[in-house]
Amino acid sequence: MIHAEIIRKEKLTPTVSTLYFHWNADVKPGQFVMVWAPGTGEIPMSLSHIGKEKAFTIKNYGPSSDMLIKLEPGQKIFFRGPYGRPFSAVNGKTLLIGGGSGMASLHPLISRNAFGLIAARTREEILFMDEFESGNVSVTTDDGTFGIRGNVLAGLKDLDVDSFDMIYACGPEVMLYNLYKHLKDKNVNAELSLERLMKCGIGVCDSCSINGFQLCRDGPTFTMDQLRYMNEFGTEKLTFSGTRVSVH
Amino acid sequence: MPKGSLISDIGSMQLESPLILASGILDENGYTMRRMLEEGAAAVVTKSIGSTERAGFTPPVVVDLGDNLLNAIGLSNPGIEHFKEEISIAKGIGKPVIGSIFGATAEEFAYLASRMQSYGADAVELNLSCPHVKGFGSEVGSDPSLVEDIVSEVKAKINVPVLAKLTPNVTDIVSIAKAAEKADALVLINTVKAMHIDIYARMPTLSNAYGGLSGPAIKPIGVRAVYDVYRETEMDIIGCGGISRFEDVLEYMMAGARAVEIGTALKTYGRAIFDNIKRDTIRFLESEGIENIEEIIGAAVKK
Repeated sequence: MIHAEIIRKEKLTPTVSTLYFHWNADVKPGQFVMVWAPGTGEIPMSLSHIGKEKAFTIKNYGPSSDMLIKLEPGQKIFFRGPYGRPFSAVNGKTLLIGGGSGMASLHPLISRNAFGLIAARTREEILFMDEFESGNVSVTTDDGTFGIRGNVLAGLKDLDVDSFDMIYACGPEVMLYNLYKHLKDKNVNAELSLERLMKCGIGVCDSCSINGFQLCRDGPTFTMDQLRYMNEFGTEKLTFSGTRVSVH
Repeated sequence: MPKGSLISDIGSMQLESPLILASGILDENGYTMRRMLEEGAAAVVTKSIGSTERAGFTPPVVVDLGDNLLNAIGLSNPGIEHFKEEISIAKGIGKPVIGSIFGATAEEFAYLASRMQSYGADAVELNLSCPHVKGFGSEVGSDPSLVEDIVSEVKAKINVPVLAKLTPNVTDIVSIAKAAEKADALVLINTVKAMHIDIYARMPTLSNAYGGLSGPAIKPIGVRAVYDVYRETEMDIIGCGGISRFEDVLEYMMAGARAVEIGTALKTYGRAIFDNIKRDTIRFLESEGIENIEEIIGAAVKK
């Protein structure tokens, strides 16, 4: 287990904070770490900042994230990694599509050439909107409190997806599956970073697998061509005990 | 049998090679097991399944020790009623699927075994050896009379081969092996009970504190157990523990194993490990002029 001291904390929304720390490691966009809340649990988390200063952007959603989000500068964090196949780097125009806290793993890809499509439940949960060049971002909210009312597909209506050299997306599986269906017959390059229950992070426990591919090791980023052969994607998954259930 | 053939058998179960995916690694989801079979495993052993759904332990459930691994998943499983579909999916490719089960009593094992058989499992592996869950696994498998009852009950209920996976966490594994002599084969060994402490957090890293150690570190323990049991009994043995290269397979076979199970090495070498070991083993047999792999079983053991 690696340990580091939190050097800074930034509250982004009522339920999301970024914790900064020093970690001398080469991390690529889309990679993740397993973060340990001693005595509480361990959860996978994308790194939202991967420069000399690293950071996780944490949403409060369960016992471990509740404990982690309460940590303050000076306190220790524990983690292992980096794990997973990163997004592939491209030159040219990119489209970043993030749903909810999925924006955290896309954050390192924000650049002058990137256009952002941010999907959030409501206005106060929108992440990283101001980090895009002005005019290079579009927002959807489920409740219509900001931007376009509706889900990510509503936001795609006004975008010419063919004009981007690469589309990167991260978010809940149902959102990504809808996005996949929208894109699959179009001539686009896209990589989708999937989120699934993960226990080990190192390709042995089978909790996060989709059609025999381990999200933690073969993914979490998958190309459109890989997703085409995964009939479990967007349809079925295993619970914490290993019970097969619908993704919806 | 063609020269350099690796064809093996355990009871009535035919295997295209001696290389089986061990229980507990990448075998919860039917599609994953199927991929393992597609990518070279001769058979897969499922995750251990019990009578009812069980969440298992809260992460951290693994400690990554490089090539070795410490785990305490906690026998998480969907319960036997929900496992039929995974077996069906895994069997889609037509290779053997071995159903692993755990229970507390002979009756419970017998019930689970008959369900596994009805789902189409080609053999049943009795988990008498998980080292980290109270009331199951090695607690059951350290009691010779209970082991004897469980194996007898299960053998009376099903026709497919019964494999008994034993724990190394006992003083005398030979006496447990003899208690399980009605089984069609023994699987030796399960993980070694172990612990890791995080010195900065000042507590055991695993949420369960105790776990099972696997990987190359335990191979010599496994080889010794196979050697001891092969020398003292006439039983078929499947070697397990720390196998990651062809040399390890041969070492286990020369100690008396007919086949082997591979698990933790998947972490380091990925799914290609089965085909790589197969290729290297065939090369070894050819270079040593060995016509039939059966010749080497127990070759190092003085009976």
